[in-house]
This record gives sequence, structure tokens and C-alpha cells, in this order.
Amino acid sequence: MWSFILRRLLYNIPVYLGIVLVVMLILRVNDPVYAALGKNPSVEEIQAKRESMGIDRPFVEQYGRFLKELVTLDFKRESWDLKIPVKQLLDRTILPSLLITVPTLVTSTILGIGIALVAAYFRGRAVDKTLMILAVLGMSVSYLVYVIVGQYFGAHLLNQSLAARDLDPLFATSGFDPALSDLGTWARQPARNAGMWITYCCLPVLIGVFVSVGYDTRFYRAVMVEETGRDYIVTARAKGAGNRRVMFIHMLKNAMIPVITRVMISLPFLLEGAIVVEVYFGIPGMGRTLIGAIEAKDFPVIETFTALLAGIFILSNILTDVLYALVDPRVRLS
Amino acid sequence: MTHTRRSWMNLLGACAAGVLCLPAAGAADRVEDGGRAPKVLQLPIRTDGPKSLDPVEGSTTYDNMACVQVYETLLEGAYWNPREMEPRLLAEMPTSDDGGKTWNFKLKPGVVFYDPSPNPCFGGKPTRPIRTDDVFYSLKRLADKKYTYENYWLIEGAVEGLDEFKATQANNAACDYDAPVSGFIKISDSEFQIRLTKPVYRFLYVLSMFQTSIVAREAVEHYGAAFDETPVGTGPFAVERFVQKQSLSLVRNPYYHEVFYPERDKWSDEDRRLRMHRPAGERVPFVDRIEFTMFVEDQPMWLQFDAGNIAYTEVPAEYFEKAFNKRTKELLPEMRERGIRAHNDLLLDFIFRGFNMEDPVVGGYSERAKALRQAINLAMDLNEFNETFYNGLNFVYDGPIPPGLDGYPPDGMAPHSYRGPNLELARQKLAEAGYPNGQGLAPLQFYTSKGSNNAEQLDLMKRQLARIGVRIDGQLVDFSTLIEAVNKKKAPFFSFAWSSDYPDAENNLALFYGPNEAPGANHYNYKRPEYDAMYEQIRVMPPSDERTAIYERMRDMLIEDAPFVGSMARVRYYLVAPWALNLRPTERHWSWFKYVDVDDSKRP
Repeated sequence: MWSFILRRLLYNIPVYLGIVLVVMLILRVNDPVYAALGKNPSVEEIQAKRESMGIDRPFVEQYGRFLKELVTLDFKRESWDLKIPVKQLLDRTILPSLLITVPTLVTSTILGIGIALVAAYFRGRAVDKTLMILAVLGMSVSYLVYVIVGQYFGAHLLNQSLAARDLDPLFATSGFDPALSDLGTWARQPARNAGMWITYCCLPVLIGVFVSVGYDTRFYRAVMVEETGRDYIVTARAKGAGNRRVMFIHMLKNAMIPVITRVMISLPFLLEGAIVVEVYFGIPGMGRTLIGAIEAKDFPVIETFTALLAGIFILSNILTDVLYALVDPRVRLS
Repeated sequence: MTHTRRSWMNLLGACAAGVLCLPAAGAADRVEDGGRAPKVLQLPIRTDGPKSLDPVEGSTTYDNMACVQVYETLLEGAYWNPREMEPRLLAEMPTSDDGGKTWNFKLKPGVVFYDPSPNPCFGGKPTRPIRTDDVFYSLKRLADKKYTYENYWLIEGAVEGLDEFKATQANNAACDYDAPVSGFIKISDSEFQIRLTKPVYRFLYVLSMFQTSIVAREAVEHYGAAFDETPVGTGPFAVERFVQKQSLSLVRNPYYHEVFYPERDKWSDEDRRLRMHRPAGERVPFVDRIEFTMFVEDQPMWLQFDAGNIAYTEVPAEYFEKAFNKRTKELLPEMRERGIRAHNDLLLDFIFRGFNMEDPVVGGYSERAKALRQAINLAMDLNEFNETFYNGLNFVYDGPIPPGLDGYPPDGMAPHSYRGPNLELARQKLAEAGYPNGQGLAPLQFYTSKGSNNAEQLDLMKRQLARIGVRIDGQLVDFSTLIEAVNKKKAPFFSFAWSSDYPDAENNLALFYGPNEAPGANHYNYKRPEYDAMYEQIRVMPPSDERTAIYERMRDMLIEDAPFVGSMARVRYYLVAPWALNLRPTERHWSWFKYVDVDDSKRP
């Protein structure tokens, strides 16, 4: 297995270098210096800015310097917009994003699989149809609508109603406690941070789950339904396995390949963050930061975030293959 | 969330963590010395907020909003009338004995820098008095290559010897702040002179801009790269915590010098009617803490205001009818019943669509070229834009001088203008330009930024100009590409806006001064020697009828040459929470938070 992983890693190095090259080239189609200048800049000031941004250097040098940062994982270049090292920006934004995306992914996957199993179990019957109608309804409405409506009803109106009963607000309309992005505080004051997580992150997670679970359910139901017709299910039933055992032991295990594929594909997006909820709920995650960086033509941030996401995408692909082999003995890594 | 109610948050937090006993997450209020609860002022920042708390690196309104709470400038816009300046770090207004070439300054006694950190930069002491050298150091920082001259344009060519200092230091690895500048003349630690290259009246306005805030050299050197997050200023507040794009918490500066609320007679009758003079003569600041929250989207800001969690809010266009009667623009009765107050602020905006005067088609000073631009002006109906996109809340006017400034035409109507719609005259002008009914005129490339409703605005513009046969090739680009296209003189026709840096029309008239051509602020590349000569004349004049007369001549020259289609200014509508006292928002400057008080008994 290790030789497989090593080989895949080596094969992917040129791919990764190509991705980084393309990203850097595309960014440089337009000159970023004008977005960063003050009013009334002179030619001399433009040149000074260019030098301070490091874009006066030959492209090969810029590319080499960035690759060195990637290899050493030492992202010491300063964000042009925020004037802090990109490493510091990553440290600040990764955790807030994960606090939203990981619970969303885990919850929606578990719920999606659970509902899909129920739907598959009752295939063609009222329960199945009702669940699928709800799933389609959930999928049919824009994520943005869920966020706006969820924020209004789930936070604003709910809090007003609680206030009328002399209770504290449950979910914040927007905002974020800086302690949540500090691992040390999580270790020292887990209860406090958990409370803060509920206040600031729970509603965005619930909205995210609400949106995702429709898609997940439809997908997993299709997988489960396909599995129900397989020979091994008939064999299991012939051997006297009960419905519950067939569903949760035999079928679920065999349906893991598409489940793993779907989950692993989502992994890079965990870091990318949930852009819309981050913007609406004021969560200082990677998605919001990346959008801000794109608007400001902040190359150090865009390049680093993109390169990291590309790296995680490649790694998650390799990991997916490894997991296939672990859950399905028929798959051999070679 | 600092109420004494039962806390859901704590209970659920405990459950989630599997812990029964909790340190209170929404814990009881801190109690200030003296036993009273701290007064906390919660404020919104629309957008991602300040990027830096170092004034020399700042440029946006949000940098300004944050910096001036911690730092101070020699002069400051007055709260009672933002067009007026008053001394802040000075004992009195600067004086000049030679017609404005040399200015005499006297620092206010008792002003100290305050470093709240446990390891203060002043040799272990938390404070150090402000000195003349701090002023010179702070102004020299603008000329330091390290800060990429981001704000040097403010004093470029103004102070004797500073341009030379900048040129010399540009060749050095690090700026030598001990190198002399002939225009900086130290008399004592508290008195100094600044000698200008020529009398430039706007210099005093520059000294009220946040980028010229006075900083302490020890602090810059002590904190190094972290200085932009750990400011050490003389202002009414000190930074407790700054998390970029998220929040900014300030606490009262215990060493803040004596500053008092404006006296009763300063306030206008209208202001007195609104009880703005109520705490006249009292020492400021009134609040113990300020908590800023950044809002990228309007909905959360609106909901937070509705819940009574922030002191004021701008009224976003889509929420206007929730607060105001669209026709009368008056506050709705239900808002008034809740004790919410309304204020509006006419911004010093110059919103326009500009022409590149070097473009072979729309540019130039020939009668034909001028007629083409005039025709486009005459075909456009800015009132329709105002009604369609801004609920009719903006202010349409002639020329480049925004309402409220000397040179602004009465009621916004210049004696002679090409304001549309006048399609008959527009067609006539188009024919004079050699394009009868638009024949022979290729579609004009028009650059505008993506976002907001610019795509729809572009459609309306296309429709309006199509009425006379002018076609538009719309280029919807991101803002940085728009700036690049304009700065590189690639955009023949473009949409832009300018917000005056200080309340003097000279700032707007400088936009058409030849030497300021792109990439400078003269995005039109307008070059008329007569205009430039008038600009050089007014630049050194203090406010007077004579200067205003020249402003008007310059304005009318621009209207005739039509290097832009315009103009429009925004009126910002604000709502103020009942618990926020003495609060009258203005965007002319942001140093007024120290005058705001809170009444917690009026919070919901």
C-alpha cells in the first residue's frame, strides 16, 4: 500500500506543479498593482508598490519562491491587502471554517445515509415518496434563500420571542467569538467554547445541513436502491438474515464505495469554507477570506489558498483509493 | 449578550461539552471602578472593516473610522459642523504671518501617548507626552518607501524639503528619520513651524486627515510589523482586541487629555431642537468601551439594529421602505414609536461617467469632440437613474462640485449646462459632431465595475443613449480591472466616483488638473492650460468670494468641455437607536464616537 501511495504522490507532482503554474499565470493576466495603489500615484510610486509586492521580479523567480514556500509550508509572504503573513491568516481562518463545514458534512452525511436507508427500505411506498418529495423540495430552493430566511427566523425572530420570555438569545444573528478560532482556548475552556459554538456556529451548520441533506439523501437512496437488487442481498435473505441486518450490515458495507467517494470529494471544500454563511453570519473563515482576496487581487492569499486546496484535493483522491481497498477486499492497490 | 437572564447558551454549552458547571459564557457584567456598570457602545462597520490600524497605511473609510479612535490629528473636523476644523492636538488653530507659507503650531499641553500593553514601549511606562519630533516623524513616515508612499499624495510638493527627503531616502535601505527636512522647523518640544513650498490652503485640511495622525516613534520601532495591530495613540480609546475582518474592541484611554463636548452656542437651532447640545461642556469620552462589528451583508446589520444591538445603522436601499415613507422620506410612525431617530447626511460625492480626453473618438478639445460629449450628456437622464436605482434618494447636480461646498451651483443647476434629457438638442449636437443619428459612430466602449446593480445601470444607459443613436459596448469588469483600464488610459468612457477628502471644492477641481493625469486622479486626462492656471491660483487662496468666483469659472469650463457626464451625490439615511445619545452620524470625519453616550435603561 505504501508503495502505491508513494507512486501516486510522485505521479501527481507534475500535475500539482502545473496547477500552481496555471494559477499564477492566470492571476498575472491583469496587473494587480493598480488595485493596491492610493490616490494620485506617480510612476515612481507605482514602481515602489510593484517592488514591495514582489511582482517586479521575473516570473520564474516568483514561481520558484512560491514553490519553496509550499515545500516548506512556510507561508511567510504578506497578504497585500491585510498586511499580515499568509501563514497567520491561515491560522486564523482554518478553524472557523472547519467549525462550520465539518459538523455540516458529518451531520448531513449521517442523516443522508440514514434517511436513504429508510427510503430504500420503504421503496415505492408512501414513506419513500414523502421523503423524496421533501428532499427535492430542499434541493429546489437556493442556498442563499435558506441563509437569509434562516437568519431571520432562526436567529432574529427566535431571539425576540425568547427575549419576550426573559430568556437569552439562542443563536446570534451574526458574529463570532475570537476564542473559537484558538485551539488553546478549546483545550482550556471547552464548555465555554462549546456554548459559543452553539451561539455563533450552530445555526449556520443547521442551515448547511438542511441544504445538503436533500442532495445527500437522493444520492444515497439511489445507491441503496441499486444495492437492494444485488445477489448478495438475495443470498443474505435466503440465509435468514433479518431486514435490519441486511440493511445495516450487508447493504451499508457494500454501499460504502460511493459513500466514500462522495465524502472524499467534499473534503477539499471543508477548507474552502461555506462562503455564503461565512459572509452572512460574519464568520471569519477561509471562504470569506478567499473571496475578499479575489476582490482585492491579493495574490499571496489566492495562490496559497488555491495551492493548498489543490494539494488536499490530490491527497484526498489518493486517500479515496486507499479507503476503497480497505472497505472492499476486491479492490487491490497496484 | 450580557443580560442577567437565564442563559440558554450556557445550558446548551454545558450539555454539548458534557460539563455540568460552567464558567458563564454570557457572564455577568463587569463592573467599572466606582461601582457603575461600564457603558458600552456597539457600532457597525459596513464591509470587512479596517485592514490596518497604522494611519500611514490606511486609505479606506473603515481604516479612518478605526484609526481616529486611537490616534489623533493636529486638527479635527468639528462635531457640531463637520465642515469646520478645530484644534485637537494643538492648543490653538495654526497661524501664519506670511500669507500661508509658514504655519506656526503650538502643541496642546497634557497630551500623552498611551500604550496599554503589559510591556509598554516607553521604557516600561504606559505614557509619554507628545512632542514636536513626533509630528515631524509622523509626517516623514508618509515619505518612507517602506509604506510604498500610499498616502504621500496628501503632502506631495507641499512641505519645503520633504520631496527631496523622500527622493534621498528612496535610495537607502531604511529611511533615516533623523535626516533633516528644511520645512520642519522645531522651536521647542511643544512649538514648531512648517514651511510650505508655496501657500497651499488645503494643507490645513490635510492635517485633519487620519493618515497624518501623530504616532510615537518608540511604538513603531518597538512593535515593528505588529504596529498596525497594536496602536499607541493619544486618542480617546485604546485597542483591546482587533481581529481583522471580524471585530474591534476599544476601551477608554484613562490618560486621555481634556476634551469637552461642544458648547451650546456652537450648535444650530435645528441641532438644539434635537437636544444635541444636551451634554455641552462635559468631558468626553462618555463610554467605557466601543465594540465594532463588521457586516459584509446588509441583512445581519439591519437585524442587529432591529434587535437593538447596535447604536445606529445606515439604511440600505432595499430596507428604505421598512423605515421611511418612500414619498415623503419621513420616518415611519412605528419607528418613531420605538424611539428610533432618523438622520441624513448629504455626502460629498461626485458620481459621474468620465471620458478619456486622449481617446481619439470621445476625447479632444475640438468643437466636434466637445459636441459628441455634450450630446451624450444631453441624452442621459440622471433623474431616471436616481429613481430607478436609488429610490430617488440621491441628489443630481451640475458640475464636479458637490452640494454644500463653495462653487456648488444654487439648487444644483449651473447657469449653462448640458444636463439631459433634451433629446432634440442631443441629436443636434450629435450631428454637429459629425454623427447624425449616430451614423458613423462605432459603439463606445464603456467600462464599469461588476457588482451592485451596475449591469442594470448599464442597460438603462444603453437604452437612453440608443434614443439618439449612440451605441454602447459595455465592459463589466471587476473593480481592480476598471482602475487598471482607467489608469492605463485604455477606457474611453468609464463609470467612477469620487468622495471628497476634505470639504473644499479644490479637492474636486484637482481631478481635472493636467499634471494629475492618469495614473493620477485626473482620470479624464483633461489638460487645459487656462484651467491649470486657475487651479494653481486657487490652490494657494484661503476661502473668499474671489476664490469662489474662480471655482465657478472652473466649474463652468468643465461643464462646457464635458469631460464627464454627471453628477450625483448620495444622501445617506441613518437610523439611531433610542439608547444612543448625542449621536448624529456624519461621514465627513469619524472622530465623533467620543461624543456619543449610551442610556442602558432605554435598551430593549
